[in-house]
Amino acid sequence: MIFNSLTFVVFFAIVLALHNLPFSWRQKKLNLLVASYLFYAAWNPPFVILLWVSTVVDWWAAQWMVRSERQSTRRAWMIISVVVNLGMLGYFKYGNFLLENFTLAVNAAGIAYQPHKWDIILPVGISFYTFATLSYTLDVYLRRAQPAKHFLDYALFVTFFPHLVAGPIMRPTELVPQFEQPRRASANMILFGLTLLTIGLFQKVVIADGLLSPIAESVFDSPKVPLTLDAWAGVLAFAGQIFCDFAGYSTSAIGIALALGFAMPDNFRFPYAAVGFSDFWRRWHITLSSWLRDYLYIPLGGNRHGPARTYMALMGTMLLGGLWHGAAWTFVVWGGLHGLYLSVERWLKGRFGGWRPTKAQLFGLAILTFMAINVTWVFFRAKTFAGAGTILASMAGHAPGGVPLLPGFDLLAAFTVIAAIFLSHWAMRDTTLEAVIQRTSAWVLAPLLGLMAFLVIIEQGRGNAFIYFAF
Amino acid sequence: MPPVGTIHEGALPKGLRLTASDRPGQAQPVPTRDIPTRPWRAIALAALIVMVACVAGWEIWARSAGLRTADIGDSPQKWAEMRASVKPDDLVIVGDSRILFDTDLAHFQRLTGVYPKQLAIHGTNGRNLLENIAADPAYRGLLLVGMADTSYFRPVKAGAGVGAPWIDGYERNREPSQVTGLTLDRWLQQLFAFLDEDMRLSRLLSRVDHGWRKGVDSPYDDVWKVDESFPGRQRFMWGEIEKPGYLQTQARLAWGYFKGDPGTPQGIAEVIARSRTAVTGIRARGGEVIFIRPPSAPPLRVNEEKRLPKAKAWEALLAQVPAKGIHADDLPAAQGLDIPEYSHLSRTCATVFTDAYVRRLVTLNDRVRLRADAPPPLSTANCKGQLAGAPLRPN
Repeated sequence: MIFNSLTFVVFFAIVLALHNLPFSWRQKKLNLLVASYLFYAAWNPPFVILLWVSTVVDWWAAQWMVRSERQSTRRAWMIISVVVNLGMLGYFKYGNFLLENFTLAVNAAGIAYQPHKWDIILPVGISFYTFATLSYTLDVYLRRAQPAKHFLDYALFVTFFPHLVAGPIMRPTELVPQFEQPRRASANMILFGLTLLTIGLFQKVVIADGLLSPIAESVFDSPKVPLTLDAWAGVLAFAGQIFCDFAGYSTSAIGIALALGFAMPDNFRFPYAAVGFSDFWRRWHITLSSWLRDYLYIPLGGNRHGPARTYMALMGTMLLGGLWHGAAWTFVVWGGLHGLYLSVERWLKGRFGGWRPTKAQLFGLAILTFMAINVTWVFFRAKTFAGAGTILASMAGHAPGGVPLLPGFDLLAAFTVIAAIFLSHWAMRDTTLEAVIQRTSAWVLAPLLGLMAFLVIIEQGRGNAFIYFAF
Repeated sequence: MPPVGTIHEGALPKGLRLTASDRPGQAQPVPTRDIPTRPWRAIALAALIVMVACVAGWEIWARSAGLRTADIGDSPQKWAEMRASVKPDDLVIVGDSRILFDTDLAHFQRLTGVYPKQLAIHGTNGRNLLENIAADPAYRGLLLVGMADTSYFRPVKAGAGVGAPWIDGYERNREPSQVTGLTLDRWLQQLFAFLDEDMRLSRLLSRVDHGWRKGVDSPYDDVWKVDESFPGRQRFMWGEIEKPGYLQTQARLAWGYFKGDPGTPQGIAEVIARSRTAVTGIRARGGEVIFIRPPSAPPLRVNEEKRLPKAKAWEALLAQVPAKGIHADDLPAAQGLDIPEYSHLSRTCATVFTDAYVRRLVTLNDRVRLRADAPPPLSTANCKGQLAGAPLRPN
């Protein structure tokens, strides 16, 4: 089930009520575990088996790693864990993609081969929980963390419904300790958690789905060539949509966990105010970028083996990061572009490291960064390279046969909303939402929250899935 | 000023807290979350009051615009539920909005004892739905395929239109969370009139644009609310459209008088070939298919005829496909019906049209028969006023 659904409202009300009844801590954890399995099974019950497989394999792999004195045995268990997890991810997420590309390759080699298409359904959130559970065995293998003391705590870490299907991607060291001691949310925690949930749903239902998604669809899904203005509006609308969709999910998830008494990490830090691309990745999908850094970029050599190796590690990490988002070459190009941006930025920093920009120059660089990020979103959203090429050409002012695609209201909505998002990110780039709320009058907060909740209700989200569920 | 209790690590600017991006290559600690020290109970209460007041105002406004709680809406989930309920011998209706709005399912039941499974979808090509049923290896019942010619003979490559995600999303819309969501939705729809797809905030906002930009169709010119939905996927024209005035005029203009490019001979041939394959498949399992063409008003009909002449489309279809057909032109009791926005029948005329086509239907096959206690035939005169009869009663 998804957060913006009636089913979830009832589900969460029941879970919250149960969690605040005078059960033992163990019983409360069992309640949360069962609720989390129900939350996941509400999509496709058989896929709960995959969760169990991941949970059990990684639990035992970590147990055997700790019990073994020999490095080769530890490594073997780590490899088993990686193979099982990535094997399931590879089959369900990349099976069709690999088969299609294999077929293309052998056909190009002159071999007539046409296999039956695999009818594989992508289990919701498999990329997220695979990374979460992998970090457990990897941290234990790297001796960064002790294994969980109790299977229940570990199973709940993997399955805990607020982060299960779309992050934030949590590390075991962040969550397992929270299950070890009884935790109870205070009234203020519950109410602030519900406040975050309201803000998250407002971002998702009203802004992403209601206002921006139809504009992006009109441009990206049209067979016609858009005029330059329309192309930019469509891309900016998607930039706003994907931020509000995903950050909205993370904010909701953090709020839900908080209402239950648990703390989850920030996943976004006003990313469109980033100055440069490394800054962007320290602000966008923080739990994924830090995961890739810790378990891919650093093991690939990081910046410890000279510039050439660093650039290779950077590109490799970003290309695989692109592929993580979706089984298509357009996602790989999206990742590759980010890798290129990061590499160029790294080189420029090496040459002009002493330069200290003024506030105005910083603002200009933020706009430049945002524009470059928008170029990458074209590959993220377009279904084909031809489609991406058409949009990019139109953005560059080359739109032969171009026609206006968007009504005046859509143009106004796209530019206004994205300007508001960009400026609010800029205004809040060195602070937190909590700090802003702290200094805002209750006379402003209350009607604003009431209004947001009202707008969520009258937008009547049709339960559109969050974009990142597909990843 | 950061909230009290904020834990800061390292040398971040005041007000920021560290994240995993600030701690490379190490086990991440339990996160800290700040709770701003605000009067949360008072804020929550005030926010609740604001929300309830706004929702109440919105509900009053929706009701004043003619929306009713009796109108429970239609959705892909409801379609999927109905599709899943189809049994091999069921009488099923597929097609576009015409057969959807113009069929009175309860009257069908009064006449025949059968409450059809209504699977038509507005804005959808009936051929795609015919093929959907034909692909069901168990189905061997009587299938009624309603059509607006311009929709049914739409080029195959154009797809199923509005119904495409409904049809393609069938499995997804049967997931447990969707089923429970549907149950809750049904309950809420009976309480609040504003829970209507056409009352969505974004939909209303987009309609403030009365053609601001040249060369682009304004959402204002799109069809807004034209029908109401009741249990059993019974949909009828919305009463407000039946009244002369702005809404009726706007709905008429929204259809654009069905002007458009004429159907090509190749396109028509392809649609007929696909229809023949589907119908043949159903008949091979012992099923039967009957096409139905509901009426349209003269201002539309003239353009429909220009694009797809009856002889080249409808008659060619019946000549080449092993199925019978019922055309509104051939039903004496269905002449001169009230078609307020030119494309769909008024609420009461839908019952009259249903009466007329069901009486013809029973003569074309032996799967459905008139009940011995069936009410007497209706005529155009019955379009006036409120029709008597049993309340809507889905199976």
